[in-house]
Amino acid sequence: MMVKFTEALKEGRLMGTKCKKCGAKYLPPRAQCKCGSHEVEWYEAPTRGKLFSYTLVTFPPESMTKYAPYIVAVAELEDDSRLLAQIIGVSPKTLQVGLPVHVVPLQISEDRIVYMFELEETAS
Amino acid sequence: MFFTQHFTTSINNYLSFYSEERKCSCLTQKVGVVGIGHAKFGKRNDATIRELAHEAVIPALEDAGISTADIDASVIGVACDPLAAQISPGALIHDYVGLGNKPMFRVEAACATGSAGVRVAWSLIRAGLAEVVMVIGAETMTHVGTSVATEWMARACDTRWEYPFGVTFPGSYALMALRHMHEFGTTRVQLSMVSVKSHKYGVMNPYAHMQKEVTLEEAMNSVPICQPLNLYDCCLISDGAAAVILASEEKARKISDTPVWITGLGSASDTMMISERSSLTSLTATKLAAEQAYKMAGVSPNDIDVACTHDCFSIAEIMSYEDLGFCKKGEGGKFIEEEQSYIGGKVPTNVDGGLKSKGHPLGATGVSMTFEITKQLRGEADKRQVSGAEIGLTHNVGETGQYCFVHIYTR
Repeated sequence: MMVKFTEALKEGRLMGTKCKKCGAKYLPPRAQCKCGSHEVEWYEAPTRGKLFSYTLVTFPPESMTKYAPYIVAVAELEDDSRLLAQIIGVSPKTLQVGLPVHVVPLQISEDRIVYMFELEETAS
Repeated sequence: MFFTQHFTTSINNYLSFYSEERKCSCLTQKVGVVGIGHAKFGKRNDATIRELAHEAVIPALEDAGISTADIDASVIGVACDPLAAQISPGALIHDYVGLGNKPMFRVEAACATGSAGVRVAWSLIRAGLAEVVMVIGAETMTHVGTSVATEWMARACDTRWEYPFGVTFPGSYALMALRHMHEFGTTRVQLSMVSVKSHKYGVMNPYAHMQKEVTLEEAMNSVPICQPLNLYDCCLISDGAAAVILASEEKARKISDTPVWITGLGSASDTMMISERSSLTSLTATKLAAEQAYKMAGVSPNDIDVACTHDCFSIAEIMSYEDLGFCKKGEGGKFIEEEQSYIGGKVPTNVDGGLKSKGHPLGATGVSMTFEITKQLRGEADKRQVSGAEIGLTHNVGETGQYCFVHIYTR
């Protein structure tokens, strides 16, 4: 399941799974639905959404010390699902709940790719 | 020769426990707390985890007026093996406190480990598998330093999807705090009011990690950790242990003049990832567990005279007032502002200092809550006594709401 997710992310696409029986969506993807079925199919999730909550982390765990301070955020995507990631390229002072954001892939090392949020540029 | 005799007697005692002659009316009997003990929470460079457990076990046995020979089984809660630097610490503690060959469970439910232990012990007695059970909760956390302890606790978040972004416990609860402020207008001041209360009562608790009052101004202006949460919004990383002895009704009445009955139990869980929660301003597991416990005990939130709720962060206590039904949704900030959770208020909450100033040695906390409520219902809480307390509640949450146990106690 992770291979497909990672390959799609390299192309900037966010893939989740949807239950064939009840239609419930899962992002990040998983193979078991709460309704009891384990028959799922892939769907492409929207990469745009709104900032649902965020926090500036100034006291990181040991493994994240070199990245601090950083901002962790939860975004509510256009299909009402939510996702957690860091939000980058932004000053914490400009943030407020409801700002439009989009998901971007970020290659953090040769063999690791993650997704992050960025603020949506407002059209001028 | 001596060893063989001792061993044979021990086995015979063990087997007779399960003999057909032994009547089991366990399914209708109550289960009560008959002995309680508590170690000093804090930065305990002077004691290892086994010694902290022992420090709690001795007074618990003395309180009950029994010895280890009278214990049928132990349930031991330690949340984090790496922090104890001991894999499977249950066996270590059981052995050190002198419980020999008796059956022993080790339980883990993150920060709700202690209450998970109480629930398991209650179940063993009710199932007729034991009559007197010792529950021990213990943790050592301070010897590794804050950022390492934070690292281990952060790994309780989904290690594939949330931990890698550096979200930690304070981070997760900060996301909830911001959302609560956004949806209900809860204020930064109200968050700090929780800390002020916690420290006021911590000073009166000889077992508390921190025994120092704090002013509203100090709490408001302390160093930011994960905004909007600052240092005084976050519970302490502590070493400590607590022990309680549970017994079947028949045994409890023989052992104690003042058994405190656990008459309501509820337990529920929630999604691993906070991004999948139905709400960031409420813990579904709390609501479900509380509903079960109230129903089983035949009481409502209005009947609760004193409570210990899970205040890992100030926002967690505010949400607990709402999720447990002490006040309406969104009015948790008002509840603390009006001093309704102080002694004399509607539901005195965490008047032992709570996780925030009493401390939060992960595995010990739930057992410490049971200790406190038992003391209150016995009328032994001294300066922190809620007068006439007859019905108490403990609320223990694991991780960011993945585990929840609610217990209701009556005299």
